[in-house]
Amino acid sequence: MTLLELSLYFMLLSLISVGGMPSVLPELQRYAVDVKGWMTAEDFIQVFAVGQAAPGPNVLIASLVGWKVAGLGGALVALASMCGPAAVLAYWVAEAWERFKDTRWRKAIQRAIAPVVVALILSGGFILATPGAPDWRLWAIAAATAAGMLATKVNPLWFLAAGGAIGGFLLG
Amino acid sequence: MNVAPPNTLGELFLGFLSIGARSFGGVMPWAHRVMVEERRWITEADFAETIGLCQFLPGPNIGNASIVFGKRWFGPMGSLVAFLGLFALPFVWVLALFALYADFAATNPALRAVVTGVGAAGAGLFIGTAVKLGRVLARRPAAIALIAACFLAAGIGRISLFVVLPIAFAAALIAAWRDWL
Repeated sequence: MTLLELSLYFMLLSLISVGGMPSVLPELQRYAVDVKGWMTAEDFIQVFAVGQAAPGPNVLIASLVGWKVAGLGGALVALASMCGPAAVLAYWVAEAWERFKDTRWRKAIQRAIAPVVVALILSGGFILATPGAPDWRLWAIAAATAAGMLATKVNPLWFLAAGGAIGGFLLG
Repeated sequence: MNVAPPNTLGELFLGFLSIGARSFGGVMPWAHRVMVEERRWITEADFAETIGLCQFLPGPNIGNASIVFGKRWFGPMGSLVAFLGLFALPFVWVLALFALYADFAATNPALRAVVTGVGAAGAGLFIGTAVKLGRVLARRPAAIALIAACFLAAGIGRISLFVVLPIAFAAALIAAWRDWL
């Protein structure tokens, strides 16, 4: 039953995940924490941190949520469901979409998607950095990382490592 | 520069396996290195165009790219093989890392603090990405209004994306059609 629910939820999420996993993180967090109570908001940021630190596409966060809810089966089902519908869509739509490159409606869709994706990624960052009552320490780490990322071109892993070190110092 | 697609499904699998295997800190740079520079399957322009296309489809960009390239070269089997190659190792590693975390860090306050710090930095990477993408759009007042409204609804108001997204996208589409974006 849990597996079926996981699968259905992630399949729906897959279909609205324009912009990739970052766009739907606010929704995943809301569902896993507020609606289902699978984990606390503090746990969610931990799961997210592990997903970010490991190599691979960040859609793997879905498999960690699945793992936490239903073990290995949950991890497989969550990942397959999160990727499946989008993959089928990509398989059938990508080439057709390419053919309509110069049409006015396609350009309108592309311009429409951009600000929405920006807002969703921003929301995801804000929600993750605010698991409970606003905590200046988390916000400071997030703000410093954002500034560092914009100012330099170093591998993002260094920022994660720095965040961990500062977190251990400030939050421990 | 001469480019040639992979000759066999095995080659395709190994190529995507090596992308996934090395993708510490983000997959896209490694996808570029393997497909354009090392194995020379595609040209720079082709890579950029396909990734751009995949960004406008739902789902993980690089996952979609594996589907699109796999299909182009070997049909449905190609899509499946490229996708499995891409995810095989990262899937194992993320679960292994999470198992380590669950054993050692989950109940240890000092280590939890470190992990939370990593998470906050990850959140910062998202915010930085949003700023980077948003800077280009910020010349248009309609774009700023849309971003603000959508952030208030999804980020602060915690309204479900299944509600926010259709409304926001409809509004954005109208704005785009009227050349406000």
